[in-house]
Amino acid sequence: MRATSFILYSPSYIIRKGLISIIDKMHDAHITNQADSFEEIPELIETKETDFLLLDTNILKSTNLFKEIKNKYGKNQLIAISNSSNNQNLSDFAEIINLTDSQAEILKKLNQLSGNKNKLDTAPNIPDEISKREADILKEIALGYSNKEIADKLFISVHTVVTHRKNITRKLGIKTAPGLTIYAIINKIIDINDTEAN
Amino acid sequence: MILTKNIKMADVIHMNYHTLSVLNRFGIVLGFGDKTIEETCKEKNVDVNFFLEILNAFIDKDYFPKKHLQTFSVGLITEYLSKTHAFYHQVKVPEIESLINEMVDSCYTQKDTLILLKRFFNDYKQELLNHTQREEEVVYPYTLSIEKAFNQEKIDTSIIELMETYSIDIFKTEHDDIEEKLYDLKNIIIKYLPQPKDVRLCNRLIQELFILEQDLNDHSRIEDKVLVPKIREMEKMIHQRFAKY
Ligand SMILES: [Fe+2]
Ligand SMILES: [Fe+2]
Repeated sequence: MRATSFILYSPSYIIRKGLISIIDKMHDAHITNQADSFEEIPELIETKETDFLLLDTNILKSTNLFKEIKNKYGKNQLIAISNSSNNQNLSDFAEIINLTDSQAEILKKLNQLSGNKNKLDTAPNIPDEISKREADILKEIALGYSNKEIADKLFISVHTVVTHRKNITRKLGIKTAPGLTIYAIINKIIDINDTEAN
Repeated sequence: MILTKNIKMADVIHMNYHTLSVLNRFGIVLGFGDKTIEETCKEKNVDVNFFLEILNAFIDKDYFPKKHLQTFSVGLITEYLSKTHAFYHQVKVPEIESLINEMVDSCYTQKDTLILLKRFFNDYKQELLNHTQREEEVVYPYTLSIEKAFNQEKIDTSIIELMETYSIDIFKTEHDDIEEKLYDLKNIIIKYLPQPKDVRLCNRLIQELFILEQDLNDHSRIEDKVLVPKIREMEKMIHQRFAKY
């Protein structure tokens, strides 16, 4: 199981702070980024990968922005923050949090979504340890080869290399190539004398 | 808790001792007696409103009054940012370096790995230096020129020429994530380094890395969310005013 991440948009400080304190009570969930205005949203959804978007319903006022969000995320990732009892036009969202909901109700909704996500996540049964194939890729990264070079060497596409790299980073919690090199040496995937610096 | 100017300076430290390093950047050092934040700032010639917002944002990562912070002068903002750079290079980085050196010196069984760690941090140090140097030599001077031109009655063509060669959006795209390698270093030590001989040293190192990472986050946030939008707005106005002539 992997931590659940949220991006939060609401123009109201009180609402953001409230949701943050509720999400803090969940196990292994956190808000990776937050926005209080429309202008900030494109940047957030461009750079950060996230499991769920918590969106104030006034987002619907910006048709273009919301279209962009729907292009990037599936319906099951969108959660509406609504302050009215009239939730007719919120069919684009997987879940609706009402401002009148109790803390327990909100936690129940969020935990349910987070639980569903984890069921999907673990379905292909990805082990926390890296696979044999990933170890091969890791070895090449640690030796200092670029994505393109690795692809050529192992007869796979650059896209595949990138996907493996993302999985390696997620499993190990190490993002940079020099960091991965140290991991590879500690775990004897490569020898210290094989590295470029030597 | 959000600090206000009537709170005693000593209480600020009691509440969160990490603020000491921020105070130092404003030239404020220990020995406050019973003076309030306002009194201390007056004595040290520090803009108390700016000081409070910077301090509050530093303490509470959810409190970030970016609109208010954008109202302060570019001079004030970049001076604080430069002081923060100096703190990294003169205080934090040497502290971490000496801890790593101590670890290397005191260990015999996994010296090779620790030397790798040391080399990794060395590269990071250089990267951080390049990052901050670029900001101090190119970016901050540019923002100051923009502010100066903005405050002048007549827009000079020289600033328009300057804006043709550089812009704050260029900075925005070239401004890289300087925290990434620190994150890796932390994880390598927490998860993968074979059990250290000297646990105490290792714990201190982790603590220092967390402190530096958090400080860098706070710093980059001021650059990205205060300085960048503020300058972008000024650039826009300068262009508009110039077009009217
Ligand atoms: Fe900086
Ligand atoms: Fe920076």
